[in-house]
Amino acid sequence: MNRIVSKLNEDKKLLSIYFTAGYPEINDTVSIIQDLEKNGVDMIEIGLPFSDPLADGPTIQDSSTAALKNGMTTEVLFKQLEGIRDTVSIPLIIMGYFNPMFQYGVEAFCKKCQELGVDGLIIPDLPVDVYHNEYQAIFEKYGLINVFLITPQTSDARIRYIDSISNGFIYMVSSASTTGAKSGFGDEQTAYFERIGKMNLNNPQVIGFGISNNETFTQATKYAKGAIIGSAFVKHVTKHGVKTIDSFTKSILN
Amino acid sequence: MKRDTKHTPQQVLSPLEKSKLKIKVCGMKYQDNIESVAALQPDYLGFIFYKETPRHFDTKIPEIPEGIKKVGVFVNEDVSTVIEKINEFKLDAVQLHGEEAPYYCSILRSTNLLSKPIEIIKVFSIKDEFNFEVLEAFENVCDYFLFDTKGKLPGGNGYRFDWSVLNDYPSTKPFFLSGGIGIDQIDDIKNFIVSKASKYCYAIDVNSKFETEPGLKNKSILREFINKLHNKKTMNYNVDDKGYYGEFGGAFIPEMLHPNVEELRQNYLKVMAEPDFQKEFDKLLKDYVGRPSPLYYAKRLSKKYNTKIYLKREDLNHTGAHKINNTIGQILMAQRLGKTRIIAETGAGQHGVATATVCALMGMECIVYMGEIDIARQAPNVARMKMLGAKVVPALSGSRTLKDATNEAIRDWINNPVDTHYIIGSAIGPHPYPDMVTRFQAVISEEIKWQLKEQEGRENPDYVVACIGGGSNAAGTYYHYLHEPDVGIIAVEAAGLGIDSGESAATSVLGKAGIIHGCKTLLMQTKDGQITEPYSISAGLDYPGVGPMHAHLSKTGRAEFLSITDSDAMEAGLELSKLEGIIPAIETSHAFAIFKHKTFKPDDVVVMSLSGRGDKDLQNYIDYFKI
Repeated sequence: MNRIVSKLNEDKKLLSIYFTAGYPEINDTVSIIQDLEKNGVDMIEIGLPFSDPLADGPTIQDSSTAALKNGMTTEVLFKQLEGIRDTVSIPLIIMGYFNPMFQYGVEAFCKKCQELGVDGLIIPDLPVDVYHNEYQAIFEKYGLINVFLITPQTSDARIRYIDSISNGFIYMVSSASTTGAKSGFGDEQTAYFERIGKMNLNNPQVIGFGISNNETFTQATKYAKGAIIGSAFVKHVTKHGVKTIDSFTKSILN
Repeated sequence: MKRDTKHTPQQVLSPLEKSKLKIKVCGMKYQDNIESVAALQPDYLGFIFYKETPRHFDTKIPEIPEGIKKVGVFVNEDVSTVIEKINEFKLDAVQLHGEEAPYYCSILRSTNLLSKPIEIIKVFSIKDEFNFEVLEAFENVCDYFLFDTKGKLPGGNGYRFDWSVLNDYPSTKPFFLSGGIGIDQIDDIKNFIVSKASKYCYAIDVNSKFETEPGLKNKSILREFINKLHNKKTMNYNVDDKGYYGEFGGAFIPEMLHPNVEELRQNYLKVMAEPDFQKEFDKLLKDYVGRPSPLYYAKRLSKKYNTKIYLKREDLNHTGAHKINNTIGQILMAQRLGKTRIIAETGAGQHGVATATVCALMGMECIVYMGEIDIARQAPNVARMKMLGAKVVPALSGSRTLKDATNEAIRDWINNPVDTHYIIGSAIGPHPYPDMVTRFQAVISEEIKWQLKEQEGRENPDYVVACIGGGSNAAGTYYHYLHEPDVGIIAVEAAGLGIDSGESAATSVLGKAGIIHGCKTLLMQTKDGQITEPYSISAGLDYPGVGPMHAHLSKTGRAEFLSITDSDAMEAGLELSKLEGIIPAIETSHAFAIFKHKTFKPDDVVVMSLSGRGDKDLQNYIDYFKI
């Protein structure tokens, strides 16, 4: 069974962490993954940096720019991930924009992910209909789970459509924003979380955007299977380096 | 599996596979129709001088392009009359449709009453079988045979004979295949031309199956037929119903943008078709922008380059460039979609100014994203936007130029999905933007058509030329000519310091398919798929992509792409200033540099899109030429 699916079947709320590969230093990728697993994180999104990340706010933009400057590329990341399954068993998802995958070759990219033990992909600018028409068969051939986003503006009909195409979880964007733009949830968000909860979707939901601490994590997981932290973690490693991941995870999970 | 060529059955390859099968369109009658069919470049046009047919030709033949042969069709006519008509109408061939005898042909062949030699085509009608022995007597007195269907009338019966009869064709004389051929027979013709029976088939003759009434031909069906016959896939250069131009286009957007883009996609054509919308759009273009913009014959420039050059004066629009055609359209669109806040990106500031202008006009909030570097080098335009009441927000990310300003505008839209409309300034972005922008800019070619007709007596120039960054002025200049094969399309990109210099913006040469700002198009990028920063002296052309329509025009070869360096562009700008008294924007100057690199014929009509005026670039010109 795909590691993401097994993890979603566990009877607990999940903490998923995003980090930018090749940041702060080019060779931090593997140690960050290992430390996150060691410190009780349930799922990891490895950010493949892109020059023009248009769904991201300044924090992830800056880490991406720095990672590219450090020499991060698709090839380099794949090289770094060789043998990763000898040391960790945590579900791994690559999150990145479509163009670098498109240039690598979508099928070659998926094949490589399977070889390395990557379990899924999140590609914000690959729309569900293009995926459905052109790439779903390839993803499935290599056992990859593709994760789609929904937002407060996504219509019920479209959510149902996305649910029918999904085979892992649905990434619930907490508010209309880029990453790292807002912190905390108001009534509008909780109403949205409740609305989606009542839809009884086939796929569990994991909430992302706007989660930065124990309070927002607890709030989000009241309504969803798990929550994703991205910008707050990137900020943490920018400020405190990669040796203090335990202090970050403790602050969230306690 | 490897194909074993030795055992492939030998097809009889007709000589036609080597040279192109000729096409004759017969039964031409009306002046305008003759001109428009001639534009498809058939090899022969037929004029029927036989009085007992509704296609009887009794007027004058207009000027038609060289290379198209005029055929007079006669039925048992006096030889003297035939000779008269040949001379009067300068016919290149005669087609004899009656019981003309071999000696009749030999008279036409040997007479010294003709001003030039003519081709003689002798017609034979076939029903189910045919006695080919009758051909022999004509072997030495005519140039071609034509096989038609035997029917009540001498030609034009509208149905075909069994072409397999031609398996027994004993002669080596090339022949025309005729009789009831229509677009539905394309597959039959293709089968026929690889069969033995077609070995000497020289031309296909068409008539009644392409008519809307006797003598009036349907140009679009004829074009499709000719393209199909010559194996040219009939290309659609407009967007398809899925939002693609061939392999380019689409909407590669994060889910957060889906509601906005989908709302626009569902409504843009409907809104644009509303009479009320059209009325307001047209009125603003006329009274506020100052349209129609003149089409000006550039006499001195034409003389210098020995061709006929017309300038489409978009520089005379309010705000000094073509950009306002689009912003007027989009602000009206935004109003109808109930939006109250407008965002835009800008490079050189032209689109920013055009957006700020229409926002002032409509009393709407306006935020313009502009790269920090561009803000520094385009100070006058920043000041103009501020005077017009817009807020100019510097894009501080990435390379801090147009590409990053676009990213910032998209991020703003993600954060403001309900009340905001994003006015994209070029023919780029997710579908429906490229098509919508193109349609708003299409007023340029719409006007060129009637203006050229007034001045040159024809709607179609030989070439339309425009500079391309994202490509909105080009898209508008080409739009009504995309499917007119006799109009050459030239796209001029910025080569910067040179294609191989590493400092260039020539996307068609340096780019490959990729995804930028929501669409798949040709894109300058690293091997790893990271978007690279282009360079050009002109801030309006240094975009790393090109609109998806242009990517398709480049890929299909419909448009010829040329790239012009900074220095050639600057010289061309100076030359236009001195020869015609017009200081162009540096973007536009690129288009004018083509005359140094490409020679046009003296009677070619070349329409140049003069997309913007040079006021904003004065400092650049001053610095460059040390004025």
